[in-house]
Amino acid sequence: MANFLIKRLVLLIPVFLVVSVIIFMIIHLVPGDPIDNIVQIGSTPQQKAALTAKYGLDKPLIVQYAIWFGKLMTGDLGEAIILRQPVSSLIAQNLPHSLILGSLALAFSTVVGIATGALAAIRRDSWVDRTVMAVILLGSTVPSFWLGLLMILVFAVHLGWFPVSGARSWSALVLPVLTIGLGGVALVARVTRVAMMDISRRDFVMMLHAKGVPPWRINLQHILRHALLPVVTILSLRIGWILGGAVTIEYVFARPGLGSLLITSLNQRDYPVVQGCLLMLAIAVMLGTLLGDVVQALIDPRVRERTG
Amino acid sequence: MRYTAKAMLLSGSALLSAGLLSLAPSASAMAQEAIFVMPARDVGAPSYNPILGTRLNAATTLIFDRMVIQDADQSFHGQLATSWETSADGLTWTFKLRPNVKFHDGEPFNAATIVWWLPKFLGTENAFMTDAIDKVDVIDNLTVKFTMKNPDPNMLFNMASSFMGIPSPKSFDQLGDKFGVTGAVGTGPFKLESFVVGQQTVLVRNEAYNSASDLSVNQGPAKLKKITLREIAEDSTAFLELKTGGVDMLLSVPTDFLPRLSSEKGTKVVTLPGTEVYYVAINTSVEPFTDIKVREAMAFAINQKEILASLFGGVGEEAHTFLISGLAEAKVDPKLLIAYDPARSRKALDEAGWVMSSDGVRAKAGTRLQVKLWTQSGTEFKRITEVVQAQLKAVGIGTDITAFDAATITAQYRKKTEHQLAVRVYSWANADILDWFFAGKRAGHPNHSMWVNATSEALNEKAMKGSRTWDERVANFRAYHENLLSQFVFAPIYQPVQNFAYSQARITMPATVRGTRLQSQTIVDIEKK
Repeated sequence: MANFLIKRLVLLIPVFLVVSVIIFMIIHLVPGDPIDNIVQIGSTPQQKAALTAKYGLDKPLIVQYAIWFGKLMTGDLGEAIILRQPVSSLIAQNLPHSLILGSLALAFSTVVGIATGALAAIRRDSWVDRTVMAVILLGSTVPSFWLGLLMILVFAVHLGWFPVSGARSWSALVLPVLTIGLGGVALVARVTRVAMMDISRRDFVMMLHAKGVPPWRINLQHILRHALLPVVTILSLRIGWILGGAVTIEYVFARPGLGSLLITSLNQRDYPVVQGCLLMLAIAVMLGTLLGDVVQALIDPRVRERTG
Repeated sequence: MRYTAKAMLLSGSALLSAGLLSLAPSASAMAQEAIFVMPARDVGAPSYNPILGTRLNAATTLIFDRMVIQDADQSFHGQLATSWETSADGLTWTFKLRPNVKFHDGEPFNAATIVWWLPKFLGTENAFMTDAIDKVDVIDNLTVKFTMKNPDPNMLFNMASSFMGIPSPKSFDQLGDKFGVTGAVGTGPFKLESFVVGQQTVLVRNEAYNSASDLSVNQGPAKLKKITLREIAEDSTAFLELKTGGVDMLLSVPTDFLPRLSSEKGTKVVTLPGTEVYYVAINTSVEPFTDIKVREAMAFAINQKEILASLFGGVGEEAHTFLISGLAEAKVDPKLLIAYDPARSRKALDEAGWVMSSDGVRAKAGTRLQVKLWTQSGTEFKRITEVVQAQLKAVGIGTDITAFDAATITAQYRKKTEHQLAVRVYSWANADILDWFFAGKRAGHPNHSMWVNATSEALNEKAMKGSRTWDERVANFRAYHENLLSQFVFAPIYQPVQNFAYSQARITMPATVRGTRLQSQTIVDIEKK
């Protein structure tokens, strides 16, 4: 297992290098720059040039990248050009909000998704299955932006159960969690259902039935356990997605978080902040994938043997 | 053992409940606290540094007082200055300062503050507002004299700008470039308690406040004890917060929300004269708009009345000049007003040799009159641009719309020759906006019309630097404005009004909103019910 983990960690190094280059280049190649957001409308080209030089944006891109990456290796994400604060403190202010929202949404997706997917697989072709399938279809196709506004209208405006927006209380988390989580429920339920139906056709399941093992035990102890492998893979990939994918939800619910910070900074081309946020999201995806691999290896020894 | 566990559970719950209760604000504290939503355009404003900042939000005037402030009728009223006078030649200004004023950090405000403050603008992006001031002399502890490089009748307007909020010298120097980010200290009616960019600003009442202008009824500390100004980018969310009682006031309401808000029981919508103008910038440096006839045709093809009625339900005004209608410089020769005239537009295109084709787009020597029409992302921009596209098509001008986000479009304009037409908006209540958008030295951005013309430059120079009195300045800017109108370097579209909305059940507003915007002079009079 240790070998497996080391190999996986070593593989992340080149991935991290490539990701850092892509992140840096993408934001610098997009038209517009932070100086346009600093200079007053009536400023002269000389004033703009002086500011460009002050922030080192006049240097060749490769030199700018080398400087940024060098600082990154010492743990310094740089100073925000527009927001005038260390990028690390901006991320530290916002990341906890995203982590809480993301973790709760992931937990909701996992529990409800697996339960409904399993139920649909066990009661296949019944009204339960068809209802779950319809909900899955709806959850996969409804845009989260629209779903968020719908949630606000129903649960905050008409029923008055939760606040419309903000992060002033724990109850303000409910609607954003449900909005993000429902998309995940659809995905997890679909994967669980298909995997369980696939495994239920295997020989060992036939044998369990022949031996007279109660159906509930076969479903929960044997089929569901085996079906969890693809679910774990999907969930691990969603860790990064949930952190970054909450952007629109943070916008609709006016919540702080990495997504809000990213959008604010992107609109102003605050390069160091955008780079810092994207790097955090990339790291979350990489760690999520690693976690998924580790869990898979723990569940299925064959994975360890193949890689180890 | 079971008893112990149960007791622990109960006491734990009690502690938790007590903790949660202690987190909830008491009723009396809530009664003093108001929650406002900032205008969506203010979301993400990065600092409260009036000297170095280029983007300030609605809370700035609550933290920082200015020397003077402007009322809706364009008159000026003293805030930190009690009186002022200028010499006959316009080369000196003398200001008497308000006595016994202290900054939030306890430092005194006096003539020495002004001597420290004005030079801070040198070399900054806001320097243009103090450019005409040569030096500042202290006459006594509460009197200062500005000696000017040239007469500047616009001095009071500049002094009334939000960028002219005066910070505490001590705090400003101590905090350095963190001023406005980690702290902001002025003499205003509220002190900055906390500021999280993109989220909210919390202000608490300045109990020692004594520098209200005569525009405020309340001459002492503000009636509200605490104001939380939330930043909500999505207008629908802000609207629903007001509807459900999550906030007390929206400092700006998009025009398309007015019908819904007006029908809400207990919600009051207040409208103030606008400071914005939507227009189409015409790039005069590229074909086919190098031909004044084509520019004329373009300008007279815009149906301002239709846009006002169909897109904005008649709320606001048609724009027929570049300036907001309240300015004296907007009162130009009526013959120069740009108002929808499709016959004139078609005639100008005929005279320029553009002949109507069977597909409805004109052509000349094998070239179709098909041009690029740029716009910005955002609902209002999108809707206006689509109507403009249809109106131009009606006279035979075909357009291809491209929408950019705000940060990208500026870089694109700087390329100078990429754009042909661009739907734009500005917000400013002074005629010097003409210099910003049409001076040859700024061709590309912000002179998106790429207008470089010797006659216009001379008129601009005279208006900007050759006026000794306010009346002279008005006359000079009017002449410059008329020159630009006669050259069809832009097409005016629409002048919105400013709207804000509040809950009548929770907020008591003063009878009159004073000033050009909802700012400190009115907010100190607001009460929570």
